[in-house]
Amino acid sequence: MKKKLGLLMLGIALAGSLTACSSGGNSGSNGTNGGNAPGGEATETPKDDKPAEKTKITYWTGDRHDADYIKEKIAAFNETNEDNIEVEMVVKTEEYDQALDIAFVGAQAPDVFRVKENTIQTYYKKGYLEPIDAYLTEDMTTKFPRIDNFSSFEGKTYSLPNYGSTMRLVYNIDLFEKAGIAEPPKTLAEMVEAARKITEVGKADGAYGFALNFKSPGSAFGRSARVIAEMSGYGGFGYDFKTGRFDFNGFKDIIGAFKQMKDDGSMLPGSESLDIDPLRAQFAEGKIGMYLSFSSEPGVYKNQFPAKIRWAGALPPTIDGNVKGVAGFLGGQWMVMSNQSKNKEAAWKFMAFMYSDEVLKGYAEGGFGIPMVPHIAETAAKPQIEGIDGFFPTKYDGVWPLTPTVTPEGATNWDEFWRYVNEGGDFDKLAEDLNNRYNAALDKAIASGEVTAQPDPSFDPASMQGAFASE
Amino acid sequence: MKINLSRIILWAFLLAVAFLILFPVVMAFLGSFKTNAEVTAGGTIFPAEWQFSNYLYAWKEANFARYSWNSLFVSAVTTAATLVIVSMAAYAVDRLSFPGKKLFVGIQAATMFVTIGAVVLRPQFELMIDLKLHTSLWGVILILISAHASVFFILLSYMKSVPRDLDEAAMIDGASFLRTYRSVILPLLAPGLGVAGLFTFRYAWNEFILPQVFTMNSPHLQTLTVGLAALRYGSSAAAQTHIMMAGACLSILPLLAAYLIANKSFMQVTAGSIKG
Amino acid sequence: MNRVQRLLNGYGFILPSLVFTLVLGVYPILWALRYMFYDYKGYGTPVYVGLDNFERLMRDGLFWESVVNTFVYAGGKLVITIPLALLLAVILNRRIRGRHALRAIIFMPTIISSAVMAVVFFIVFNSYNGILNQLLLKYGLIGQAIEWLGPDYAMLTIVLIAAWGAIGNYMLLFLAGLQSIPDDIYESASLDGANPIQQFRYITVPMLGPVLQMIVMLAIINSLKGYESIMVLTEGGPFGKTNVMFLYVYRLLFPVSTGSVIEQQIGYGSAVGFASAVIVGAITVLYFYLSRKLNDIH
Repeated sequence: MKKKLGLLMLGIALAGSLTACSSGGNSGSNGTNGGNAPGGEATETPKDDKPAEKTKITYWTGDRHDADYIKEKIAAFNETNEDNIEVEMVVKTEEYDQALDIAFVGAQAPDVFRVKENTIQTYYKKGYLEPIDAYLTEDMTTKFPRIDNFSSFEGKTYSLPNYGSTMRLVYNIDLFEKAGIAEPPKTLAEMVEAARKITEVGKADGAYGFALNFKSPGSAFGRSARVIAEMSGYGGFGYDFKTGRFDFNGFKDIIGAFKQMKDDGSMLPGSESLDIDPLRAQFAEGKIGMYLSFSSEPGVYKNQFPAKIRWAGALPPTIDGNVKGVAGFLGGQWMVMSNQSKNKEAAWKFMAFMYSDEVLKGYAEGGFGIPMVPHIAETAAKPQIEGIDGFFPTKYDGVWPLTPTVTPEGATNWDEFWRYVNEGGDFDKLAEDLNNRYNAALDKAIASGEVTAQPDPSFDPASMQGAFASE
Repeated sequence: MKINLSRIILWAFLLAVAFLILFPVVMAFLGSFKTNAEVTAGGTIFPAEWQFSNYLYAWKEANFARYSWNSLFVSAVTTAATLVIVSMAAYAVDRLSFPGKKLFVGIQAATMFVTIGAVVLRPQFELMIDLKLHTSLWGVILILISAHASVFFILLSYMKSVPRDLDEAAMIDGASFLRTYRSVILPLLAPGLGVAGLFTFRYAWNEFILPQVFTMNSPHLQTLTVGLAALRYGSSAAAQTHIMMAGACLSILPLLAAYLIANKSFMQVTAGSIKG
Repeated sequence: MNRVQRLLNGYGFILPSLVFTLVLGVYPILWALRYMFYDYKGYGTPVYVGLDNFERLMRDGLFWESVVNTFVYAGGKLVITIPLALLLAVILNRRIRGRHALRAIIFMPTIISSAVMAVVFFIVFNSYNGILNQLLLKYGLIGQAIEWLGPDYAMLTIVLIAAWGAIGNYMLLFLAGLQSIPDDIYESASLDGANPIQQFRYITVPMLGPVLQMIVMLAIINSLKGYESIMVLTEGGPFGKTNVMFLYVYRLLFPVSTGSVIEQQIGYGSAVGFASAVIVGAITVLYFYLSRKLNDIH
């Protein structure tokens, strides 16, 4: 009994000490943590200590790859700004979206936060975002492109671009040379052939021609089949902008090529349980001939998995060698302001600082992303990162319009494609089933007024070429 | 001869089990000394070069001392409160008959069947906003205490195996129900309390999403799980698996200590309770 | 104790538990479950759709596939875990040398982060350079690499890993139950010439009765509900072969975005969650009924 009481007493004592430290400021504890240092000192500053109270704003991000750079810039802002603004940065990599939702419920939302090309629409619909048109200077209006449905909605601007991600075929130069292949594949047939040849010469050393992170088929195809379709002039998510309907028949040859590589034994064994990181680690070891991925790869091979081989990025192949569209250049937005912010003026001053030429140029030169803002892309020096050259925008990179958001019943197209690659079957039937389910969901969404899917008979995917580079 | 053979079989079995169970743990431990590339590529057992700096990094970046203290606070308070609340309820349900008892047991059971994940977070969080506890660890603790159905059933079953004569005798001697609970039942229930306490402690210690949500704007209140999760990279880079492993190995230590304490508490009883 | 006292004591002692359970346990569940009858994406106004979600449930092949998978997963896990945990508890309850160390070892898996262990198990089981395949190949036990995480073996692998993580739990629960059986009973049985198997059959099992029954019930519920280790190891794949009910629910409520915009399906997710809870509840009730029947026979 004494023991039990002791435990309770301990609990109460602990409780006391905790309340004490949460109300009494916590200067000491935070100082040791570099991650929270910028805004870490005393949460409640006694009023008579300083003449003017600091305006505190918080910035949330889900990115860690650029955290050191951003942290440095925020520290600089905190020191130099003349309005006594102090920015605290919070990095949340797990459950970022969920944390944001809850924060908005509890009126704890950050003043400024990071959004991505597949989250900004949802946040806009949820009403989290504050339009920034009133704050934009003329200089900014001319310098920054605004991209419908990715940074502006219904005529209002909510965010501005900084960097974007290109999609490329990533290949091992050593293995290509060993297999006697002169250049990266430009067609599906060449890709299948290259994978077969590399496996032939490499298998003895455990090297295979092709791999993707099929533990999540959506993630694997979303960086491969999607961009091959886009280059070939088909919507990467199966949506046909001309007819305003879903049509997955365009994927027939592409998924067929993946199936061929699987049947040939050209894929790294165990691809079905592979995550992207183990894939990268094997590529760095020289065990994978090629895969497709985003422009974040060079940074990973520089900082996290030092590549032991020569490698490069090349434009993804197309179905038959004819480029009829553009490879998706993902991005168009970076920071947004919360409509719950109590210090919108201060929040904007912080945003304006982060969108300044100096910060964005440093970002591009540090190689944290491919600049999407023309005047930065033109003036920034190329970053010193091996392999990044192949990832800069070409004539064949561009921003596709937004695919209408639908939630079909049953398995996604990517899951069905992956099953087909493994188990075979009739692709035409599969495509028909997908078309039916996706279009039914589309009709439902149109009926409820959530999306408008206007057919655009004049839509020409090739017309998006040349928006970011002339060659 | 016969006895020796069965001993050999017994020990072969025990050692095989111990090996199978320990092997992945040892792999995690060894992995915590590898470089990220080595651990992620797999294929090796021992590190090519021992990276002791992984621990240094995990310790500093995860603000280990501070976050462990927060975790310990949440887990200890949750455990103590859960044990008191649940043992009281289990005692009353097993020893007394009153209308609505079945309903109470049914409600407890029902909360065990439904798992709708983090959706319940929203109403829970809204309740805590009303109570002004949404930015403190007390909100986390209250919610953790409320999830006690399985602990209730564990203690209920142990309560059933505590002989009734003992507490009935105490009551006949004039002890009140409360007094009997404190001085007769709780000591007899010690093995069950030890296990239930250990489970509650572990459950609270490993909880991630609640402290993540409640400490969003107060980093100094973060628990270890939240700190460790921040070691992962975002979508634009690879996860730092080696650091996560180092962090995981460090965070085992307090739980092992809790286990040893609990183990002691439910080992003492054989000597004490039945004979006393 | 008179009637009034009995009622006062009874309600007084369950009150704290009841308040916590109702306010923070039952109310949030009801809050979420009302969306069963709505189409709700987490924003905007929920649209009342009546029983539409349940109609969809009936024709949802993915769900029924996950129900079958759940039974396979839970059944496999229980068949391995419960007997092994009970056996280990009985052995380690005896005064054999090193029992404390062995108990601690067997308990270890239950306290390590499952995200970290998923990485470790990938290193052990992956078919490309996994340690298990390397060992089996080296000693000539298999001719070619086995795809432990491929369509044919993934469920088996998942079950083994889940059992690995659970044995320590149930061993401890059994151990605590065994503590309440006085040693002298075994001693006198031993003197009467009962062998360990007879002692187990005629002393341990009957004396452990209520505890055993409860532990098995918890094990059933937990294995029907468990999905975390599956989520980190296979995400339900390859192509749904290891998808279980509550993982399916979780992914409806918290979908993984892979490029396109993906929305939560809170309405349908709640309906599936409710149906899954009914299935778990029905099995638990069935178990209670059967175990009571068995009790009567003894």
